[in-house]
Amino acid sequence: MTINGKICKAEEGEMLLAVIRRQGIDIPALCDHGAVEPFGACRLCMVEITKESWDGWKKHVTSCLYPVEEGLIVQTHTDKVIELRKTVLDLQLARCPGSPEIQQLAAEYGITQTSFEETIDSDNCILCGLCTRICEEMGFAAISTIGRGHLKEVGPPLKEPPPDCVGCLACAQNCPTHVIPYEDEGIYRTIWDKKFERIQCSKCGKLGITKDFAEALIKMRGLGEDYFDICDECRRKETALTMGRISQWEREVVE
Amino acid sequence: MRITSPQQLEKLRKECIARLDKFPRKVLICCGPGCLASGAQKIVDEFKKKLKSKRIKNFSVEAMKETGCHGFCEQGPLVVIEPDGTFYTKVKVKDVDEIIDKTIRNEEVIERLLYKDPKTGNKIEKYSDIPFYAKQTRIALRNVGKINQCDIDEYIATGGYKGMAKALTKMKPKDVIEQVKKSGLRGRGGGGFPTGRKWESCAVLEEQPHYVICNGDEGDPGAFMDRVIMEGDPHTVLEGMIIAAYAVGANEGYIYVREEYPLAVINLQKAIEQTTEYGLLGDGILGTDFNFQIKISRGGGAFVCGESSALMKSVAGEVGEPRAKYIRSVQKGLFDKPTVLNNVESYANVPVIIDRGGDWFAKIGTSTSTGTKAFSLVGKVRNSGLIEVPMGTTLREIIYDIGGGLQNDRPFKAVQTGGPSGGCLPADKLDLSVDFDTLTKAGSMMGSGGMIVMDDRTCVVDVAKYFLAFLNNESCGKCVPCREGLYQLHALAVKVSEGRATEDDLELMEKLSENIVLGSLCGLGKSGPNPFLSTVMYFRDEYLEHIRDKKCSAGVCRALITYEIDEELCDGCMACIGVCPHDAITGAKKKLHTIDKSLCDRCGACYAVCQRNAIKIL
Amino acid sequence: MKVDLDKLPEIFERYPKTSQSLIAVLQDIQKEYHYLPDEAMQQTAEHLDVPLSKVYSVSTFYNAFSLIPRGEKVIRVCMGTTCHIRGAQQVLERLENELGIKAGNTTEDGKYTLETVACVGACAMAPVVAVNEDFHGHITVGNCKKLVK
Repeated sequence: MTINGKICKAEEGEMLLAVIRRQGIDIPALCDHGAVEPFGACRLCMVEITKESWDGWKKHVTSCLYPVEEGLIVQTHTDKVIELRKTVLDLQLARCPGSPEIQQLAAEYGITQTSFEETIDSDNCILCGLCTRICEEMGFAAISTIGRGHLKEVGPPLKEPPPDCVGCLACAQNCPTHVIPYEDEGIYRTIWDKKFERIQCSKCGKLGITKDFAEALIKMRGLGEDYFDICDECRRKETALTMGRISQWEREVVE
Repeated sequence: MRITSPQQLEKLRKECIARLDKFPRKVLICCGPGCLASGAQKIVDEFKKKLKSKRIKNFSVEAMKETGCHGFCEQGPLVVIEPDGTFYTKVKVKDVDEIIDKTIRNEEVIERLLYKDPKTGNKIEKYSDIPFYAKQTRIALRNVGKINQCDIDEYIATGGYKGMAKALTKMKPKDVIEQVKKSGLRGRGGGGFPTGRKWESCAVLEEQPHYVICNGDEGDPGAFMDRVIMEGDPHTVLEGMIIAAYAVGANEGYIYVREEYPLAVINLQKAIEQTTEYGLLGDGILGTDFNFQIKISRGGGAFVCGESSALMKSVAGEVGEPRAKYIRSVQKGLFDKPTVLNNVESYANVPVIIDRGGDWFAKIGTSTSTGTKAFSLVGKVRNSGLIEVPMGTTLREIIYDIGGGLQNDRPFKAVQTGGPSGGCLPADKLDLSVDFDTLTKAGSMMGSGGMIVMDDRTCVVDVAKYFLAFLNNESCGKCVPCREGLYQLHALAVKVSEGRATEDDLELMEKLSENIVLGSLCGLGKSGPNPFLSTVMYFRDEYLEHIRDKKCSAGVCRALITYEIDEELCDGCMACIGVCPHDAITGAKKKLHTIDKSLCDRCGACYAVCQRNAIKIL
Repeated sequence: MKVDLDKLPEIFERYPKTSQSLIAVLQDIQKEYHYLPDEAMQQTAEHLDVPLSKVYSVSTFYNAFSLIPRGEKVIRVCMGTTCHIRGAQQVLERLENELGIKAGNTTEDGKYTLETVACVGACAMAPVVAVNEDFHGHITVGNCKKLVK
């Protein structure tokens, strides 16, 4: 297939976006993430496609969701496509005027101020859905979308601390606009108003994942009950010790 | 009693016809949505009561039918005497006695209950002579208004399940598909996709199982054709689905019914039970080895679930968020399996197409839009109701010949077709043919069949604003162009209607609309700006009037009008004072009333109650 | 507010125990209790083996569901296109005035809930107002008071 005039190869079953990225072409895709199925919500990764047999007829598709086809001719930065990206960013800026990430992305497309009415009391959530999709992928499905349309939000069920949340932080750490707050204080971690106790390494005392998360992982992956009692680093050292592949000097240091 | 062969079915058909002929004269009471909302149930109860107690030769309560929508909703409640064809309008409970004694007993016609033609001033006895009915051709609605709702025996008596028997015992699945292709039937939900082709593309797929779904969501406000079919003739939907399932190789089907239609669910459920009892649904249909089950899935109240991928998610018990259809739902539909989804009206045409052949159907309508189409003709038109006409009929014929023109003979301004995805067409487009393609070329679309007539007192900016508010509310919220775009487009439309917009704003709206159309994920978003785009195309001056002159000639946009009471016409009846929510009107009995403009918000309550037309909108 | 959820097992019995039944189960609960109590949603999640977040997501997505108790009489003013151009907005405002509440709310005595609905399919009788299961056509500013007497 051809991307921006250059011929390139793709694997059957791949999505266009992966192939485009492989060519070193940078197009934004806020709701895309390697760990979850593509969603097609942000519309920023839209590109123009056509084929010789289409007689000049063109189509615009989200590259994250479009499966590659033999003979596809792709253009990633036509006037129309750029105009669309600009509009989407303009709209997102109206929704989240105070988000540095959106401001930066919009500025890359020449937009410093929104042409529209700013939404009041916005929390900078762009509703990309990554947090909920990742939470579901992790196996917890603790949070979800609430409502629909313009008033849609993301949050825990019944607007209470989510019963299925284990404090793994996958949602917070993958949020493109960093709007999911969490707090670590002492051995406690609080997210979505739910307080968790973190495990302390029995060897070095370092704080690790929450007890709930550990329990879930042990169950899901069939690990030993005490698997998370020591932190990864200490475990590596333990393993090394047991395998006896370190010198006497190192052994003394570790002990 | 299970029917296990076509011969048995034909025998039953003869028996049902004979049973119906026991009382050659019948009284039909319309129980369509309009008549029900006007009190038809009380009329039914009164007829039942009186017929049970009176003794009439060759008549009994058995000869009374509660039918689906007869169509002429404006004139309801309707009572029809067959085979005379006598048509009684605006029937009240107190008229029932007289109808039984005079018309049923003595075959006398009651003049005052007859329809009066506004053009000639004459009373018309038979409905077939009334212009509203004269120009219609009923195929999808062939049984509605004629038979007892969800009565399988009556359905069979009028030829029901004949098409299905022919398909299952005399045709192969590909023969069925061939006939549907020949008929030229295109999706009646508005998409207009060739039905035969859709079935064919599903039938060839190896992945199992296949599913057949009926889209009974009918979300377009102003449309109620599907409701009428589901309630008034549910068996035709079932028969159509069974034939489809046979053609594409499906053993499981769903009818997705909108949450706002509880009666349709009840009638469809009854029909399913009756058909299953007769062995015409379920395992071993009609004694063949074809099995097919139908379940009803109720919508939860979401316009977006009329979109096929969102509908399928809803059937699966999830939120109705559509997905990009780069892989069609015919390939990956319900539960990711090959699925055929068709509209209620599409299925209603199928039994007749199979029974009489695809060629017969193709002769009706135009060459690219064959057959007929049901429309809900509503709004400021004189004859509001449900109609069915051959494709190719013009807007003028529908609105004036059938619709009887505008109420109070007010000037025609526009007709809105295609629901929120469609647009408004002005007077110089009245001679356009109504079909799948002509209206689309003109900037609107035929859509599912809603046809809303507007007069000079309708403001197009207000109409656009209304639709944008509706769509904004119904957006699933998944993609940015629809969720944020329609929200902002609506906000700008509000600005225009309040006289706060600039011409730059209008340009911004047009540019935004283009990108919403380009960038949205599903049909709701993609066609969302249509109400704005079509009105600004044909009525740009009206937008500019709101923007430049801060004026609303139609007298609708509240921020731009004022109300005043005409001294000459006011008779001091105090009706307006009673309804004003802001106590803005002062005056005493039989004395001139005045409106305090500082308190008045032009809500229109006084205008609606004034019998003297004394409220002036400036 | 404590609600007696004794009807839940009966409702659960009506449908297959799969996630596909979620909307149907919630609709029956809505019909029985006139809203979806928190506890009912939790029990539904458990019974159908569906995450609570998904039950909540579905119950807040669709118009049919209410998370706060509705009144004895639910008045739904149709705001479809035909009703709109025939004056539904005025009817709504008049009813808001009569009942002293805004659309989407319930009167203090729990008797009336006032809501709007997208389209009930009785367009030829516009404006249409539904009171529980009964539909009333040709409702105007002048005659709508009778619906709340």
